[in-house]
Amino acid sequence: MAPVITLNAIDYAIIAGYILVMILVGYSLKKYMKTGEDFFLSGRSLPGWITGLAFLSANLGALEVIGMVANSAKYGIATVHFYWVGAIPAMVFLGIFMMPFYYGSRVKTVPEYLKLRYNEATRGLNAISFAIMTVLMSGISLYAMALLFKLMLGWSLTGSILFAAVVVLLYVFWGGLSSSIYNEVIQFFLIWLGLTPIVFLGLREVGGFAGFVAKLKEPLLHSVKYLGTSNNPLGVDWFGVVFGLGFVLSFGYWTTDFLVVQRALASKNINAARMTPIIASFPKMLVPVIVVIPGLVALLVLPEFSQSALPSTEYNSALILLMKHYLPNGVLGLAITALLASFMSGMAGNVTAFNTIWTYDIYGSYIRKGKPDSHYLKMGKYATVFGVAISVGTAYIVQSFPNLMDYMQLVFSFFNAPLFATFLLGMFWSGATGWGGFFGLLFGILTAAGHYILYKLGALHYASDMAANFYQAWWAWLTDFVITIGVSLFTKKRDRADLVGLVFGLTPRAKAAARWLARPAVWGTLAIAMAILLNILFW
Amino acid sequence: MDEKIQAKEPETGMKQGHVLDLKLPIGWLLSIYGLGLGVYGLVTGKEIYEKSLGVNVNLIWGILMLAVGGGFLLTAFLKRGSKG
Repeated sequence: MAPVITLNAIDYAIIAGYILVMILVGYSLKKYMKTGEDFFLSGRSLPGWITGLAFLSANLGALEVIGMVANSAKYGIATVHFYWVGAIPAMVFLGIFMMPFYYGSRVKTVPEYLKLRYNEATRGLNAISFAIMTVLMSGISLYAMALLFKLMLGWSLTGSILFAAVVVLLYVFWGGLSSSIYNEVIQFFLIWLGLTPIVFLGLREVGGFAGFVAKLKEPLLHSVKYLGTSNNPLGVDWFGVVFGLGFVLSFGYWTTDFLVVQRALASKNINAARMTPIIASFPKMLVPVIVVIPGLVALLVLPEFSQSALPSTEYNSALILLMKHYLPNGVLGLAITALLASFMSGMAGNVTAFNTIWTYDIYGSYIRKGKPDSHYLKMGKYATVFGVAISVGTAYIVQSFPNLMDYMQLVFSFFNAPLFATFLLGMFWSGATGWGGFFGLLFGILTAAGHYILYKLGALHYASDMAANFYQAWWAWLTDFVITIGVSLFTKKRDRADLVGLVFGLTPRAKAAARWLARPAVWGTLAIAMAILLNILFW
Repeated sequence: MDEKIQAKEPETGMKQGHVLDLKLPIGWLLSIYGLGLGVYGLVTGKEIYEKSLGVNVNLIWGILMLAVGGGFLLTAFLKRGSKG
């Protein structure tokens, strides 16, 4: 098959310039990598705006951009729920309420917090499942990227997989988390600058927002209005959206996933750590501009996606076809660079999270305990290499899954959804015990897996796969919540003195920053207010 | 402010921050992109802009990126100037 897009010399020059900068940034940070804390946590030295933008970029990976444009073409404006309901509240909650325990307790990883708060078994369960999930995700991203570049540009699958993997490997190997974070900030700017030309040209062609209103079916134009029943483009009712997506999936991901939390832990002080997710929430709120608008434009201008499209329509190609439709060589190279940047930021995020969890929570806890710091620093570098190698292997395995976005949600809801119940009880109820936490988490994961099997066997029915995912997350969370409380009531309580710094109510409140403009609560409230306002505007 | 303070810390033996003035790489990358796209926009004929609705996006986007990149570089140099 002939490639969809043909690049020329200027496009390749733009891509080459990007790669060069990524590698130079990684190399220039090499000199700081002297201790484990330097490599895994950037020496806890970065300012809040850097970690904040990196926090967003690490999440704005391949599947996010491509998948959300596809969702927007499929579901219309309702896709904003993944942002204004499914991200902002959780990000603000993390910054205001949870970060004091993560950063304040000086843990290096999320599983380490579980060990301090619950017990070794809980940490092990989380660390091992997270490490596996992270490698899977990274492999999925790699595969998605390679497949895209094959269809789009005619590049070979193996060639793109190895090329992207080697670039990420180089800069993470040299500069560790710092390199990943600084590059994520650069990638943040490139993603926005590379994709906005499509937004402008698209809006120009369809006649602005009024053009959408005139030409699109009514249910595609509203975020909230049709959520009363599951009879809307998403196929999910309000309960599924608010509790499944907004509460369980979103909080499970944003507040406990080490991929994002690690960026905040790299901050130079507690105020910067708390501001990290809150700073990220503002650009996050605006991401629909670069994904939802192109999705809607695709419906109107591309014949493949007309509103009467067949169910088999390959929505994941929407963004690429728009690039072909609008962008001449030059800005085209920039848009491809934006895609590459989003792929690499996502992958580097996975790789840095993996090497840290592997080294501290698996290798350093169960395989070789109590070695000197330099030993773990070296292991972190090896872990970076084999983490990338496993991702490359995974990339070839995931080819059999057709809908990448749904698959990602699936993996999240097995592991992340119940986790939030464990953290919520752990941080806010001093009565939760070690074994309560462990069994709650275990049964939460089993519930998610069981629900998925029953749904696939046809024993459970939902209006759409997405509804099944959201409800599965909800039941997994509820199981974890109930079992943790139940088991805690019958097991031995922890000494309250051991829980200081780990549990709300037993921990002295962090002093608020002197200037009110530097306070997380002020900015968090503003973010929530803006998210509510946006929901009302697009009701 | 904070970056400057941290950069000096190694001499006092305190924890060293991982300092990288991101304004420089971002500024250079965007300026060079802007310049390249702008020039490319000037030398290319109208026919390649049919798909972009007749708009010379390379020229316009080049100017915009040059402005953004230049802004980053200017702030970086002004800050450096005020330091020395």
